[in-house]
Amino acid sequence: MLEVHDVSFSYDNENMILDSVNFQIRRGEITVITGPTGSGKSTLALVLAGFIPRVIEGTFTGSLLIDGENVENDLISEIARKVALVQQDPESQICTLLVSDEVAFGPENYSLAPSEIRKRVEVSLNAVESSHLTNRPTYALSGGEKQRVTIASMLAGKPDFLLLDEPSASLDPKGIQQLRKALLGLKNSGYGILCIEHRLETILPIADRVLQLSQSEISKWSGKTSSTKTTPVEHFRRPDSAEPLLMAKGVSYSYGTISAVRDVTLSVYPGEIVALMGDNGSGKSTLVSLLAGLLQSTEGTTYIEGVSSIEMTAQDVAARVAVVFQNPNHQIFERTVQREQYLVFDVLDSLDEVPSERPEEILLAAGLADLKERNPFSLSHGQKRRLNVSSVTVHEPLVYLFDEPFIGQDEIGRNFITQAIRKRGESGGAAILVTHDSAVATSLCNRIIFMERGSVLLDGPPKIVLDRLREIGYGEYADLGVMS
Amino acid sequence: MLHGLNPSLKLAGLIIITAGILIYPSWRFSSLLLILTILGFKVSNVPLDVSKRRIRFLVAFSALLFVFQVLMTANGTILFFIIPKYDLMGPFLPVTDFGIGKGLEMSLRFLLVVFSSMLFVSVTDPTLLAHSLTRLRIPYRYSFALVIALRFLPLFDMENKTVRIAQRSRGISISVRGMSRILRSIRYTFFPLLVSALSRVDALSLSMDGRGFGHSRTRTYLRKSCWTALDSAVLVLLSTLLLASILLTLGFLPQMSAII
Repeated sequence: MLEVHDVSFSYDNENMILDSVNFQIRRGEITVITGPTGSGKSTLALVLAGFIPRVIEGTFTGSLLIDGENVENDLISEIARKVALVQQDPESQICTLLVSDEVAFGPENYSLAPSEIRKRVEVSLNAVESSHLTNRPTYALSGGEKQRVTIASMLAGKPDFLLLDEPSASLDPKGIQQLRKALLGLKNSGYGILCIEHRLETILPIADRVLQLSQSEISKWSGKTSSTKTTPVEHFRRPDSAEPLLMAKGVSYSYGTISAVRDVTLSVYPGEIVALMGDNGSGKSTLVSLLAGLLQSTEGTTYIEGVSSIEMTAQDVAARVAVVFQNPNHQIFERTVQREQYLVFDVLDSLDEVPSERPEEILLAAGLADLKERNPFSLSHGQKRRLNVSSVTVHEPLVYLFDEPFIGQDEIGRNFITQAIRKRGESGGAAILVTHDSAVATSLCNRIIFMERGSVLLDGPPKIVLDRLREIGYGEYADLGVMS
Repeated sequence: MLHGLNPSLKLAGLIIITAGILIYPSWRFSSLLLILTILGFKVSNVPLDVSKRRIRFLVAFSALLFVFQVLMTANGTILFFIIPKYDLMGPFLPVTDFGIGKGLEMSLRFLLVVFSSMLFVSVTDPTLLAHSLTRLRIPYRYSFALVIALRFLPLFDMENKTVRIAQRSRGISISVRGMSRILRSIRYTFFPLLVSALSRVDALSLSMDGRGFGHSRTRTYLRKSCWTALDSAVLVLLSTLLLASILLTLGFLPQMSAII
């Protein structure tokens, strides 16, 4: 058993992140912890893995016990032999260029014999059904593959407990199914597993215990995920006379020799809220950048309000289209939250015409009103993403293009982003959001575009598309997100 | 072909080429080494695509270095003037043989250092490099810093592109008009990249600590580098090259220094 007793922790000695928390993980069991962002879930994982207080500084009291033994005086490398932590972003946790090197990295550090290391590489990759990746370069893996390799590289150290921080965050439904299978297999071979999750539905079917961490209290999860309302939106009727806001005509794009988007033709009309779905690597993000005129298509043309987007200046595009990308760090430019919020008016030379209430209102709705003077880079992941949304929509452009906006968002964040999208649709604009979550697609969107290997496979009202997906072997998309 | 050489030897080669050209800065010597480097690209099947933007930029930059050096060097035998004598004005901007030599020296040296580094990165397996450096008794903490740098190079390249796209989406166009705009452009690129890099560093160091990195003074390796007879031969060649550049600069090889 892995347990913490009476653990309290604060990064700055003022705000307590954890306050007298008691918690156990048992072998052969999958425990899931959920809770609002900033409730200390990741911090708890860092305590359980021994990084707090050994590597990460702050004020710590309490104790960590492995099988009843206090490990207070053990080095991090000793604890790491028993407890392994897989962090959120698999990309940042890979330190070599070859999958087999990556999995061998741990055992090598413990000076195991090469023959034993070879065996462990094989067994660990097998455990996550990724033996075929052994000789692949790490930079050429998909998101799901990277994550399985990261898990395998932790398993190679033969720990007893495996902690995963939001393992399903960027996985497509296929990736989630593979992850579930891998975790179940590990549980059955005796591992004690802890998953921290916002998207509960992804991991719920395999969970033995679901707990909630809120205000330093660990309690049994109440069993409600109110964020996933599954009342389908009314069927959307496009006004006959409307001109499309966005249009793509025979658009293709390739990265070098790899073709990412192939011959896509589509139009998006006022009032439409489109869910752009499809496996990882099917070209969704590239299509978003093409539609926003941010990438120059290798073939075909995209139009924003009837104007060829590549002929527009950056300012023209920014005035009409709001884009939110996947990684929040790549799209924050200013030194304070306030300045970031006003950046677009500065860029568009319209600082004098700023609508008086709007910037403040939207910051308030985003839950960022008290953080105006903070450096945006010091915010949490969820807060950063809300700032992304608020700062690109503050001037109310007609079209919103959001790439997986709900990752890492708790209920408050989800509601804020959902409201922004819904309002845009209702007031004559349009939105496209990239998502894997069919619950979002049915409750918020009135159209699904499903992509497969760069092309549009299906395009239509959510219910019809999801039913069709079930028929053609993409059932996991239809099933996931619908709460059982 | 270069792929199979011992990684430490390749690192030594890179250092010797760079050192050699600093010790004996002649444009003929540089161009000889540059030709050898380009041959290196050919024999090891690494594409050196001049149509690629980055390579074009490097070549253009070295041409700029050349022009700048020629314009700035006034001593030597004057070959011609860029602005000839007209009436009572001029002539201005003399081009001298010494200036051209100096210009070639600078631009070729720049190309040599950049291209040989690129070749080194393309033909070296970082994990094997770490192992072979450890064999040279360099602590593995240092050699792994190199592995990680090489692992994250392509990633930062990609992130740079993403940040540019994100800038465009916000209407920010990179402007070089006026100092304050240049500074702002730099900040808008540098901040997001730095923050993203730092957050990756945190995650990476936890992930390495969590797998026992630094557990003891030594570690084992699944894949090992080896040293072959070919490596010894190349080492002799490289040492000769280094020795030659030293002798040339000391003037011990007058016949040769007349040629290169």
